[in-house]
Amino acid sequence: MEKKFKRDVKSLDKIFDYINHFVLTSQLDDSISFSIKFVVEELFTNMIKYNVGHENDILISLKKNGQHVVVELVDYDVEPFDLTKVGDLDITKPLERREVGGLGIHLVKKMVDRINYEYENRTCRITVFKNLG
Amino acid sequence: MFDVTISDNGEILLSGRFDASQVEKAKSIFNKIEKSSTVDFKDLEYISSAGLGVLLMTQKRLNESGQRLKLINMNKHIWDVFHYAGFNNIFEIE
Repeated sequence: MEKKFKRDVKSLDKIFDYINHFVLTSQLDDSISFSIKFVVEELFTNMIKYNVGHENDILISLKKNGQHVVVELVDYDVEPFDLTKVGDLDITKPLERREVGGLGIHLVKKMVDRINYEYENRTCRITVFKNLG
Repeated sequence: MFDVTISDNGEILLSGRFDASQVEKAKSIFNKIEKSSTVDFKDLEYISSAGLGVLLMTQKRLNESGQRLKLINMNKHIWDVFHYAGFNNIFEIE
């Protein structure tokens, strides 16, 4: 299933409803459901934050494919930003030196089994794979 | 639906889904905290990095005056997120 959402943080309610429907029809457990919601929110809000200057909707696609779930977000008419090349976050820093930036991407990488980034014709496509079981 | 309230005994109670659209609502409470406090996650189903950011900034601000947040009653999924983020090293979690 796939659906486009307005690039606004206020779209999150509709996005979570959309994910809940997918989870229900695909009979996925709570743990997978939490991961999908987390990953979609982080990638979606990242696209809003960094791909500014236009109002194109963002496409979110959810599929259960054999033994994994495939989540894909597509953003149109944007500059390239390959999140797979972002360096690891140092989570051992003391409180005084911890920053909020980079936390979302770090956590997405921890939660999924594989991330693909593609950029062509000013279109960014991020695909994540989450193994079931 | 997300909510954040302060109980009669001064605990901060979180409930529902703490996503990026709820940051301002959460800040309206967390920015007022000036002494060590307990945050009860019992009724919180979900949190994203946006929510973690509010907690981190509050902890950093409180730490400057020797105060801190204690986090209690997290569900397993949220507990995992805190550990992936290394927040178990900078928060007391029960």
